[in-house]
Amino acid sequence: MEEIALALFVCLILALVSKRYSLPPIPFYIIAGIAIGKSGLNLVPSDAYSQYLSSLGLIFLLFYVGLEMRPRSLRERGRTILFSGGIDLAVNLLIGFAAAILLGFPLLESFILAAAFYISSSAMAIASLVENRRLILPEAETIVWMMVFEDVLLILLISLFSLQGGNLLTYLLLTIAVLAATVAIVRLLERPIRGILARTDDLPSLLTFTLVISTTYLAKLLKIPEALVAIILGSSLAATSGPALDRLSQPFREVFLVLFFVFFGITIDFSGGFSPVVAAILCLLAIGSKVASGTLVGWGLHGSVLSGIEIGADTLGRGEFSIALVAIFGSATLSATVAILVVVTSLAGSFAARYTDGIKGWVGGREDLPLPVAGAEPE
Amino acid sequence: MGVRCIELPGIGTKYELETEKGDRVAIIFMGSRTFQLYVLEKGKASPSAAELTAAEARRLGSLLSGAIIEAEKEAVEIAFSTLSDLRIRVHTYAIRKHLAGKSIAELAVRTKTGATVVAVSRKGKNIINPLPSFTFEDGDIVVAIGDTDQLDEFEHTILGN
Repeated sequence: MEEIALALFVCLILALVSKRYSLPPIPFYIIAGIAIGKSGLNLVPSDAYSQYLSSLGLIFLLFYVGLEMRPRSLRERGRTILFSGGIDLAVNLLIGFAAAILLGFPLLESFILAAAFYISSSAMAIASLVENRRLILPEAETIVWMMVFEDVLLILLISLFSLQGGNLLTYLLLTIAVLAATVAIVRLLERPIRGILARTDDLPSLLTFTLVISTTYLAKLLKIPEALVAIILGSSLAATSGPALDRLSQPFREVFLVLFFVFFGITIDFSGGFSPVVAAILCLLAIGSKVASGTLVGWGLHGSVLSGIEIGADTLGRGEFSIALVAIFGSATLSATVAILVVVTSLAGSFAARYTDGIKGWVGGREDLPLPVAGAEPE
Repeated sequence: MGVRCIELPGIGTKYELETEKGDRVAIIFMGSRTFQLYVLEKGKASPSAAELTAAEARRLGSLLSGAIIEAEKEAVEIAFSTLSDLRIRVHTYAIRKHLAGKSIAELAVRTKTGATVVAVSRKGKNIINPLPSFTFEDGDIVVAIGDTDQLDEFEHTILGN
């Protein structure tokens, strides 16, 4: 137990450093975990306690994904989202999958690796847009909606991977039944839930925490994966009291997610089938493929390859979702490889996003020259 | 001069305006009660931006709209920066016993002080623009309008504070 405090303390120091230099914190948590865990100084072992606490991080993350799901606004912006999200998906999933197969990963692992390779970090993309002051650019809209599209894909991928070996039909029916039942129960309990959440005492936090961790219980009871239950629960509660639950679950999410990242690092084992060469190749490809998909989207939607640099730089970083996918479904080798992938791409993405103007200038001629094609004219 | 309003999931809402001269201005309302204000000059590729707190954003908004409203507990001052800094002050006062039964005309509020009583709140009911014959009661809350000097005079001569 006391080692958890040590792990969190190291994370706190590193988070301060990352904030000081406006770098994404996730790679630092993973590096901290690797340094104090199995592959490093071996100061903090991973035991049942820490596993439970870090699994809460995952549940809170996926609950949040469900809570933020907005099928309606997605449908309203249908075509552009399908275009940008579709290119992002096709290019990165294919390159990731082909690379994984060619580098000798087994079929199923290649799928999981391809998914982790494809999915960008929404948290990093958004933080980068806000911190680097890019929100006025039309590309910023494209990027945030691409992230929404990726969230939907994450749910599909999790459902798909959870299937492993099961019967498709029973699984599908069970999931739909659980979704329907959860929505019905939440609707039925709407008034008491709202009533408790509107109070000013300690009950709103207690209810939020209980609702979220009841996921583990429901999953065991219904025999469907926790990850899926967390998303279902989040999305069915979104309509009832989305903003309140978002605000109340935020502190839990923040703390447990840090534990999740650091213990992901702690359990990383580089002694198995991990190959640094394979990891290096994947990192380079991961950077290249997001730049390629970004360029295609930028060219298609904003009529400019320079927009692609913007989109590529901001979506380059892989993070929480890649780790979540390998943490749930991946082997030890896969986890080690993806840990490196996340650290490298997130730092590369952070630097690329910071110097986008410089890179654009270098690609498109002199920086201070008006770039008439950079950014579509609004109607 | 249409303003585009765009939802940015995970960030907030963006309002964007293209000016007649082709510059673009955007304001982003972020969830955490902070604001980002962007200016993208025509022909330039990279924008300038400022991050504002809620108070700064309000201040900036009232500067641009030409009327600055400053609220205190019992008074509001409105300044029209476009009308050579015209300032109007609205103040509330409680009527005490010694004025009960006296009318506005009898007290000669306007003649003596320059301030005007524009409303009276009596037992939860409001009377807007009371007539000169209006008689005060103990416990009335009056709303008077004028400049700072006129209201000081009102407080002094009429209310006797």
